[in-house]
Amino acid sequence: MSEQQKTVLVIGGGFSGLTAAVETAEAGFNVVIVEKTPFFGGRVTQLNKYFPKLCPPNCGLEINFKRIKNSADITFYTQAEVEKISGQEGNYDVTIKLAPRFINDKCVGCNACNEACPVEIPNEFNFGLDKTKAAYITHNQAFPFKYVIDGKACKGKACSKCAEACKYDAIDLDMKPETVNLKVGAVVLATGWDLYDVSKLDILGGGKIRNVVTNMQMERLAAPNGPTGGKILRPSDGKEVKNIAFVQCAGSRDENHLPYCSYICCMASLKQATYLREQYPDSKVRIFYIDIRTPGRYEQFFWKVKEDPNVTLTKGKVAKIEEDTRTGDVTLVVEDVMSGKKIKEKYDMVVLAAGMVPSTKASKIPGDISYTDEGFVMAGALKKGMFAVGTLKSPVDVARSVQDATGVAIKSIQSARRS
Amino acid sequence: MADGTVIKPDLDFVKGVIDGGGESLKKCYQCATCTVVCNVTPDQNPFPRKEMVWAQWGLKEKFMGNPDVWLCHQCNDCTVYCPRGAKPGEVLGAIRKQSIKQYSAPAFLVNLVNNKALSWLIFLVPAVLLGVILSADGAFFPAEEEIKFSFFASTLTIQLVFVPALTFGFAVGIMGVMKFWADMKKAARVTSGNLGGSISATATEILSHIKFKSCGVSADRFTAHFLVLYSFIALGIATGIGVLYIDILHIESPFSLTGTGFPVKIFGAVGAAGLLLGAFLMMSNRFKNAEKVGSGSYFDWLLITIIGVIAVSGILSWLTRIAGLAPVAYSVYFIHLVFVLSLFVYLPYSKLAHLFYRSAAICFIKYSGREKR
Amino acid sequence: MEMEKKFGVYICKGCGIGEAVNIEKVKRAGSIAAKIPIENVREHQVLCSPEGLELIKNDVKEGVNSIIIGACSPRVKYEEFDFPGSIVERVNLREFVAWTQEPMSSDAQSLADDYIKMGAIRVQRGSLPEPNILPDLSKKILVIGGGMAGMTAAIEAANAGYEVVLVEKEAELGGMAAKLYKETPRQYPFDKLDEPRIASVIKEVEANQNIKIYKSTKIDKTDGQPGLLDVTLSNNGTSETIKVGAVVMATGWKPYDATKLEHLGYGRPNVITSVQMEEMAKKGKITRPSDGKEAKKVAFIQCAGSRDPNHLPYCSSFCCATSLKQAKYVREKNGDSVAMIFYKDIRTPGQSELFYKNMQNDPGVLLTKAEVTGISDAINGNLYVEAENTLLGEKIRVEADLVVLATGIVPSTRAPQEWLDGLTEAQKKGDDAKKAYIEANPRPEMILNLEYRQGPEIPSLEGAYGFADSNFICFQYETRRTGIYSAGCVRQPMGMSDAAEDAAGAALKAIQCVEHVAKGIAVHPRAWDMTFPDPMMIKCTSCKRCTEECPFGAIDEDAKGTPFYRINRCRRCGTCMGACPERIVSFKDFSVDIVGTMIKSIEVEEDEFRIIVLACENDAYPALDSAAIKRMKLNPKIRIIPVRCLGSTNLVWVTDAFSKGIDGLILLGCKYGENYQCHFVKGSELANYRFSKVKETLDKLQLESERCQLMQVAINEYDNLPKLIEDFVARVEEIGPNPFKEL
Repeated sequence: MSEQQKTVLVIGGGFSGLTAAVETAEAGFNVVIVEKTPFFGGRVTQLNKYFPKLCPPNCGLEINFKRIKNSADITFYTQAEVEKISGQEGNYDVTIKLAPRFINDKCVGCNACNEACPVEIPNEFNFGLDKTKAAYITHNQAFPFKYVIDGKACKGKACSKCAEACKYDAIDLDMKPETVNLKVGAVVLATGWDLYDVSKLDILGGGKIRNVVTNMQMERLAAPNGPTGGKILRPSDGKEVKNIAFVQCAGSRDENHLPYCSYICCMASLKQATYLREQYPDSKVRIFYIDIRTPGRYEQFFWKVKEDPNVTLTKGKVAKIEEDTRTGDVTLVVEDVMSGKKIKEKYDMVVLAAGMVPSTKASKIPGDISYTDEGFVMAGALKKGMFAVGTLKSPVDVARSVQDATGVAIKSIQSARRS
Repeated sequence: MADGTVIKPDLDFVKGVIDGGGESLKKCYQCATCTVVCNVTPDQNPFPRKEMVWAQWGLKEKFMGNPDVWLCHQCNDCTVYCPRGAKPGEVLGAIRKQSIKQYSAPAFLVNLVNNKALSWLIFLVPAVLLGVILSADGAFFPAEEEIKFSFFASTLTIQLVFVPALTFGFAVGIMGVMKFWADMKKAARVTSGNLGGSISATATEILSHIKFKSCGVSADRFTAHFLVLYSFIALGIATGIGVLYIDILHIESPFSLTGTGFPVKIFGAVGAAGLLLGAFLMMSNRFKNAEKVGSGSYFDWLLITIIGVIAVSGILSWLTRIAGLAPVAYSVYFIHLVFVLSLFVYLPYSKLAHLFYRSAAICFIKYSGREKR
Repeated sequence: MEMEKKFGVYICKGCGIGEAVNIEKVKRAGSIAAKIPIENVREHQVLCSPEGLELIKNDVKEGVNSIIIGACSPRVKYEEFDFPGSIVERVNLREFVAWTQEPMSSDAQSLADDYIKMGAIRVQRGSLPEPNILPDLSKKILVIGGGMAGMTAAIEAANAGYEVVLVEKEAELGGMAAKLYKETPRQYPFDKLDEPRIASVIKEVEANQNIKIYKSTKIDKTDGQPGLLDVTLSNNGTSETIKVGAVVMATGWKPYDATKLEHLGYGRPNVITSVQMEEMAKKGKITRPSDGKEAKKVAFIQCAGSRDPNHLPYCSSFCCATSLKQAKYVREKNGDSVAMIFYKDIRTPGQSELFYKNMQNDPGVLLTKAEVTGISDAINGNLYVEAENTLLGEKIRVEADLVVLATGIVPSTRAPQEWLDGLTEAQKKGDDAKKAYIEANPRPEMILNLEYRQGPEIPSLEGAYGFADSNFICFQYETRRTGIYSAGCVRQPMGMSDAAEDAAGAALKAIQCVEHVAKGIAVHPRAWDMTFPDPMMIKCTSCKRCTEECPFGAIDEDAKGTPFYRINRCRRCGTCMGACPERIVSFKDFSVDIVGTMIKSIEVEEDEFRIIVLACENDAYPALDSAAIKRMKLNPKIRIIPVRCLGSTNLVWVTDAFSKGIDGLILLGCKYGENYQCHFVKGSELANYRFSKVKETLDKLQLESERCQLMQVAINEYDNLPKLIEDFVARVEEIGPNPFKEL
């Protein structure tokens, strides 16, 4: 058994990928993690809190980063994408393309480049709710704690303001893409999910009405490291949000958009209801749903939120949202199914509980992989020694992704061992 | 203890709806998108969400005296936005067929008329019937040089056949409507209201097509339906003037655009053209929206076909007559008569029965004060 | 053999450190503390640069093996400052001084000096860890439960190359899965029912050379520790003891006792449970028990017991899919039949929504949201389902000839746990109450029968209704009984495919455990840690505080009542170290002495306030770092000392601090209570308990108890943290200086 063949490649450095990686490494195997973005942690880094414990995701991430830091068996690449996978179980050849970070390992994380950079770009980490610079770090617990320069937005050597500001010789605007070739025994696919593009939800005003935000934007609005420092203020005028509606199944369970259920949105909206209720004691929350899906012991969280007299739950799917362009208020229309009444109500802000799209809907992973019509990996049809994790197979929450990723770790060590 | 309305699922009703163009019925999961996007539904107890679940459960008694299925103009906004592909627009169409069956006696005729397998029969019967009558009249393929349709079928014969046919159609329809009206009053527990006012408001609404205007995705249905309705009115006027000319003023047909027959001809021509265009639009709309809203049921297409054939055959018989193509003209004219007869006789059994029931339903919600503000 | 220490002190001037403090002074403090000549204390503009690192590397070549680095937080530049074979202490001058203090202030200077001194003490008093590997370790995995989860765990572990022992209580393998007529679809597009896979799984288990199967077998006793677990199996009166390394507990679930569902008609002949429905469908026709007639109008009542505060206050997760599946049975077996489903919410999360959609699209499958209020008799043995708030009307009755209750699930762990919880409660009231409890409540069958001081089963979570669930979202297999991992429906209500996935995860954790034990290192969350608690037993007074407080039950007592460590159960949190009043527990790099000496080394000026912050290194420390990254100001009077967990904080440190003249003490750690975030489960809670009694100590010293405070802080609460500390310092200043200062 050669060292090389014992290596397991994990594609994706979100919570599923990190879990698969550290769990595999701690069982005694070499692991390579490949992450497309400049930082690890994936979607959960953008969350304010987890349901149902209402604890911060960075807590678990910090432990996992610590496990990576303390492990001699884990190698990782950021801004890395897999270009080619060939071979078979025990002997996969993988080509990885590394995009330039333009900042090298000498970076100490002092923020001087960010201050010097003259280029402002929409902050993707905050889903466009604010701006950042072309030289940036997503948040102050990011891993690796190393800045990055957005190559598309950067004006290059002609500007070089960041390079002048950096005292540590960490800026390298000449950095070129690189290619890395690896031989691995097993491949774990953990490229996670994207939020459904709500601008496709025309009747819900997604992307058009200023105070209609997505559930992920809501997370950023509530997060201490978000655009408002954790204060829930509406985008149009920065007003405190005292009256909010959540629109469940915004895209999900809808064959015009996503025919499946996105699993997390009910719990997410209930959780976000607590954000608002905690922040503004006089606030009111109304959640419009088709079915409330809080499986297992999540039911208790549902009950706890429901007990709050300022939280109302109404069965009925919102199918019309309009903006009062003068005040910025948002009016929605829905049928209260249980009473058979059409309701028209005005809110300070409306949250669309947008669904989950497997990342493989937009960008397929190279290799012989079959997908469902919705872009999910058909796990049963994968080649031996290839495994898909978490939201690539079906929408799941963090807890189940962790479960799944740990389970996949045993399968990948079997593959690595067989080789 | 044991109280509450007893729910009796009727699987045959469910199958009836499914087979009658509502095959997507079972897909509904009661999210109520449909009631929200519908621009014609009232705010209280809006349709079509509740109708969907009733139909899924086969609760046919819920449709007794239910005006709501008739308030639906099948704009299909609901169908376009339905997240499950349950096509409430189509399903309501199928439910309306069931409703026609409930009220247009005898009910089996609704099935017979709308049975795809028997489509050949429903035109063959009036054709044979008309053929026999016309043969008895002795006017088959007149030898005269000049083409006069009255040679072929005398005005009297036409009147003797078509007036009773139309009367029959209306009689059945009106009887149905009366039953329907009584059921609606019972179901809504309404005892009194302003009938006169409601009727005139209904007439205004229908003639103005105001409800069609609120259709979203199928806005073009407004044009099609508007054209067909007004074309029929125009053709009715043309027929009326024709009767006036022939029977009272004793002006003999055929009429021409340039002579005294101008009013008949202009109404006829405009009506025919409108009808043709309307029928064409109806067809093209259905093809255009086929993927999203469905291309319509047989029930639907039967009526469009009749209207289309009437328009085409009417225009062709006029043109061929002018062109002097006697055999063609008479044949086409015969077809025209067969389809007009079908239209009349099948009036209360085909989709055209909506003429009665939708009007009654619109009138009823005005009468009962349930109308959307 | 202790190595001879040769010290090196390195001060970085980069990232603002050089501008914040006088480096010469810091170097002097380092030289005094490390007892090396000042000219040997090295500084560099950018210590983490290749040139800076070269300085250290050269010294290491020259024999330096005890390295104090005054630079940035240990959370960064960990690869650069990694010197295997040396003791390395990272002194956080950047985050805790340069980025949070007034540059070139005397406060900043004394802070930096103190930190360097404290760092030096850690290196002086600590030593390099060596693994503690116990002899004769077993890597065998014991799997308890021969259902889908258990068998999957067995197969996965066996296929990964480990020997497995599979124990099943019943005479046959298969568990609940063996009762199924068909399964909900496992594959996209989820449109038709699958044949059960259990038979092939049983075959696979039986054919696997690495798996030894014990049927009709129970566990009488589990003793020992990971790697060395002695498990006594009993089979029809005969017993056998085997040695295993780790355990997967997959003992599954039982249907909720339907006799408690009389209000839903159970007890009437034609009311059955969903499990009975499976059995009937498997046999053939779906008939009515009362007269054997084929059932044509079948009503399914969802949440029978589940989601009901009087019965099961949770959702059983798979009953919606099960009833949709069983509705299909009804329809497939008889085309004229109707299956009516009365639900609270249809719960088919994720892609199983497609299954719902497919099953629903059948003219004979009827669904409505409803609150079923009761069942009453109709004629001919038929029943009326009575319901309110339905989609069909406010109050309805529907006739059915067979009613199926979608009964919820109860984990097999519930009965033992409830009994044990009751016992604990009774025990609190005294021996008589305990005796009465045992008499009144027969002891249910236990699963593990652990010979642990802290009880025979894995401890339950508050409000978990017997589910042996992890309270951690990120770490699903966390357990307070190291080496014992639960899987499947003992953890959470879950469907069969999920249970199989879960079992694979638990099997991996079991493998990790035996592998780590073999290397003498800890398991999660300190899975790299080679240190271990090493008590100086001759000083032990057998007070048993360590045995009581250890969250992981790692310490048992021998026949004489003297505690002894089962080191492989230990997670290295140091709670025992914190608990011990005799201060005898030490790790190689962390001890009562080390921290105590660090505290005592702090320079206390008469007119200056000094506050110690004992910060949990998991969450509180990164939070402090984050505040620094935001360049928030931290009160200069604080001295931060990282600890493994607040559980490791020893009360003697309070005495150390206050007798030295320190004015206040903050314990900064994770949240505790029901939704605890403490990575060692009970650490911060125990610290709070211990320090609630600190008043006595302070009273003895005639000091105000407000001088000592525990603060719960989450990793993302750094924005408030400086203010919290500021407020505390202000309060202490109000109280006035520690009178011991003058002594």
